[in-house]
Amino acid sequence: MSTPMIDIRNVSKWFGTHKVLDQVTETIDRGQVIVICGPSGSGKSTLLKTLNGLEPFQEGDVVVDGLSLRDAKTDHIKLRQKMGMVFQRFELYPHMKVMDNITIAPTKVRKLNPKAARAKAMQLLERVGIPEQADKYPGNLSGGQQQRVAIARALAMEPQIMLFDEPTSALDPEMIKEVLDVMVDLARSGMTMIVVTHEMGFAREVADEIIFMDEGRIIERGTDKSFFEKPKTDRARDFLNKILI
Amino acid sequence: MGLDGMVIVRNFSFLMQGLVTTFQLAVLAISGGLLLGTLVGMARLSSIRAIYYPATLFVNLMRSLPLILVIFWFYFLVPLVAGRPMGDFLSATIAFVVFEASYFAEIVRAGIQSIPQGQMQAAYSTGFTYGQTMRYVILPQALRNMIPSLLTQSVVVFQDTSLAFVIGLKEFLRSASIVDAREVRSVELYLFVGLVYFLFCFTMSRMSRKLEAERRAA
Ligand SMILES: Nc1ncnc2c1ncn2[C@@H]1O[C@H](COP(=O)(O)OP(=O)(O)OP(=O)(O)O)[C@@H](O)[C@H]1O
Ligand SMILES: [Mg+2]
Repeated sequence: MSTPMIDIRNVSKWFGTHKVLDQVTETIDRGQVIVICGPSGSGKSTLLKTLNGLEPFQEGDVVVDGLSLRDAKTDHIKLRQKMGMVFQRFELYPHMKVMDNITIAPTKVRKLNPKAARAKAMQLLERVGIPEQADKYPGNLSGGQQQRVAIARALAMEPQIMLFDEPTSALDPEMIKEVLDVMVDLARSGMTMIVVTHEMGFAREVADEIIFMDEGRIIERGTDKSFFEKPKTDRARDFLNKILI
Repeated sequence: MGLDGMVIVRNFSFLMQGLVTTFQLAVLAISGGLLLGTLVGMARLSSIRAIYYPATLFVNLMRSLPLILVIFWFYFLVPLVAGRPMGDFLSATIAFVVFEASYFAEIVRAGIQSIPQGQMQAAYSTGFTYGQTMRYVILPQALRNMIPSLLTQSVVVFQDTSLAFVIGLKEFLRSASIVDAREVRSVELYLFVGLVYFLFCFTMSRMSRKLEAERRAA
């Protein structure tokens, strides 16, 4: 019997009186790729941030690799090291070179020696296809390159899970593919991934399950085929019609 | 009555000793004030009430009091707390560090708030603690944005040090007044003091404006 990688149990969250997550339940096994989609404001980003403890929640529980987020004894710092996160606006550190962006957490958090950290960073930059950018500042890179550095930065902590929050929606169309290619590779390598995206091509290619959220609730879930071919709810059908035109 | 510049020349080394004291006090006030101010500025943004409220109270209190009063307070207070006389330089230094910290704190707070939330989340998501996030990610960027305001405030601190005069500290202005008591050459002495303050502060302000322009262009 294997425990799930992430077990989200009846999670509800309010911002003041505004309920932004409503009884969300979901189980993610090791190596699974889950795609989350849904209209703006439906709670997708908030859900991702509750998973690594960036946003507290009031009801329910999230258990990551056996560690409960509600348990006061759980060390959030340790828990976050299991999960890498990639943001819509990259969030690279603008005052550090690409290399330092990638090595800072491994050297300061995992106390890896700088030489080993640099070697590891170089491998990761090769993996995302931009080893030649190591000594530049993020501001001098294209959006697609910055996002690939952000993926390398997250991978440098050797996470078991990767969270992506609309990783391609701030990119020019011609750069989307270079980032998606890296993500597809990552999915095929067996990484557990939760990806908020409206890139349905990506979802078809690698998602084990697609979740549709609306007003803080998961209102539909399915494998790629069942979701795309016969969405059960009107909301999901309208949404798919809008983004698949 | 003609001006007699010789009074400056005759007392030059005595006056320069005063100026050195002024610089020492200013440097300690600025570095100590910035250090304490950074901690208080961070505390002002804390979501923990036990940290936020005392810091906020401190800042609002200090910013509502005249500096000269704070200098007097510490002059009489520090010996009481320490149980022995402290000397005017030490008591002035403490008063300035505490007072200026409240001004630096507000600059630091604004500087931290100028950094997008996502930077903090990115740092946390890689497993950084609050301290590491501040030290490696937020403060380096915030400080860079704050340089013009910090320089402006430093000029103000430099001018403010002349208030230590009131507790008898022999800083630059007091040195001039001591010479004046002996030689009765007020006009020359205070013109000279003014000129030195002006040259230093004007240069600093120009530098700060130039840095600001460069930052805008970058
Ligand atoms: N810090 C906050 N304080 C108050 N309300 C918030 C906060 N962050 C998000 N919200 C609200 O919570 C709801 C869900 O936001 P969230 O960012 O999770 O949506 P989303 O599905 O990611 O949307 P988008 O597609 O626009 O990114 C929205 O109504 C939003 O206004
Ligand atoms: Mg979002």
